[in-house]
Amino acid sequence: MTFPILPAEQAGLLVAVVVGFGFGFVLERAGFGRAQKLAAQFYGTDMTVFKVMFSAIVTAMLGMVLASGLRLADFKTVADHVTSSTLLGPMIIGGFLLGAGFVVSGYCPGTSFVAAASGKVDGVMTVLGVMAGQLLWAGLEWREPFKTFHDWGDRGNLYLWELLHLPPRAGPVIVSLAVTAAAVGCFLAAERLEKALAAKADAAARATPAGRPGRLVFAGLSAAAVLGIVALALPTGTRAGARETVQLSQLDLARRVFSEPWDVRVVDVRDLKACAAKRIPGSECVPLQELGKLRLADAAAGRDLVIVAAGELSEVPREAAAYPGRVYLLRGGFQGWEAFALAPPAPPPAGAPASEVELYRLRAGIQSAMTGMKAAPPPPPPTAAPAAPRKAGGGCSG
Amino acid sequence: MERNPDKFWNPYLAGVALGLVLLAAYLVMGMGLGASGGSLRMGVAAVSTVAPEAVARTPPYLRAMQSGHANWLVYEIFGVLLGGLVAAYTSGRLRAEVLKGPRIGTGSRLALALAGGLLMGVAARIGRGCTSGQALSGGALLSVGAWAFMHTVFGGGYAMAWLVRKEWR
Repeated sequence: MTFPILPAEQAGLLVAVVVGFGFGFVLERAGFGRAQKLAAQFYGTDMTVFKVMFSAIVTAMLGMVLASGLRLADFKTVADHVTSSTLLGPMIIGGFLLGAGFVVSGYCPGTSFVAAASGKVDGVMTVLGVMAGQLLWAGLEWREPFKTFHDWGDRGNLYLWELLHLPPRAGPVIVSLAVTAAAVGCFLAAERLEKALAAKADAAARATPAGRPGRLVFAGLSAAAVLGIVALALPTGTRAGARETVQLSQLDLARRVFSEPWDVRVVDVRDLKACAAKRIPGSECVPLQELGKLRLADAAAGRDLVIVAAGELSEVPREAAAYPGRVYLLRGGFQGWEAFALAPPAPPPAGAPASEVELYRLRAGIQSAMTGMKAAPPPPPPTAAPAAPRKAGGGCSG
Repeated sequence: MERNPDKFWNPYLAGVALGLVLLAAYLVMGMGLGASGGSLRMGVAAVSTVAPEAVARTPPYLRAMQSGHANWLVYEIFGVLLGGLVAAYTSGRLRAEVLKGPRIGTGSRLALALAGGLLMGVAARIGRGCTSGQALSGGALLSVGAWAFMHTVFGGGYAMAWLVRKEWR
């Protein structure tokens, strides 16, 4: 999981200007700075709004599906970041009012900025109107009786694949394929409608036909949707139900717990007393019979899940198998961990290769962390021939 | 570059380009594109210069002032204005004018633009976003609310279209 990057504030604001520039530039070039062209959407003569909007939605959606398939990002983690919660009542009514305002003003809030920037006075008026409307409702929404309506029926983050009861990993892919198919079908219908109404169109708002580039886009989007399905079939060991057991060695777990704790979620399923007494740093104590309470099937898949039992488990517990991300079992369970982490490692002989010294440092670090020793184990002997000067400082084991 | 004010990009290619901008916003910032949230932030800034006490006693205004997301949206709007300006200049569409159909006066058109904007401002606040922030950004991530919103936006537009036909045709 690499994305989203989430840069620090100042870099983020620079990104905002760059992203906004792209947004404004494309909207203008699509013709969205011209009110007649936008309004023509609602008279059927120019479906550009629909075409641009849906191809943008399908492109971004399939991009996310492919990024998830390649494990660069997790669809639901990004979606939880970006989308607002679903409040069906206010959203249906808000959408209806926004559509009405759209055809009256000739712009939507985003395109009114583009129109204003290209000198259209009516665009400037719409920008001012949107600002006033936002201030008006934001001033009322927290007071009764407006508050009851404004917060009516909050369902939290809710997605189409959840509504259809599809599994968390395959769900977004399946719905995306259906949306792509529907979009391409609607594009073809829109082309026919425009052709039928071409005589009625006025000069300022004439539709641009799909042509060859349009057909290429249809083919490209369909191909990307198919690729998403293929990516889903790639062996990742994460398919719920028939999940194979993937074991994680103690050393690999230790490395991850110490160097990238934000990437792993360690769940200790031993009974509460044993876990409270001694456990792997950063792990959660959740006895096996209570594992269902974590609702792992609905959890974000950003981190890899590691299950720690008393001894070695032969298969992934059912509740954990539903987790949408990777799931590992700790090899040898907690007993194996104790034998690995609590036994003092033997210092490597002088002249040992760097990898062995590194391993010793790591094991010594784990041991001192696990036993709560004040003094660290003896430092490794100096390497025979220091080839290159190394930076000082080796963490707690140094 | 050829400057023909009546020549636009192929809508599907423009859509793909817009989708890629949106995808970049998702992957880099973990955010979507937006317009109305930035409007509110700018409106609150304007109110705070005239009547700072009104901002202090209205929680949604205070939240907009302090929200990092709203701040991001304002910078994004600067980018939109800049991008729109450059694109309009290079395509020969940069001109001070009022866009309208042939059967309506300039004054009425401007009044309707303001009224429609006001209605959309309220609606975008109720719907938690506008066509960019809710329908586009939420729709591509398959949010149920975003899809409901998107359909009713088109519904509202078609329902109202007949009433304002004199404005456009």
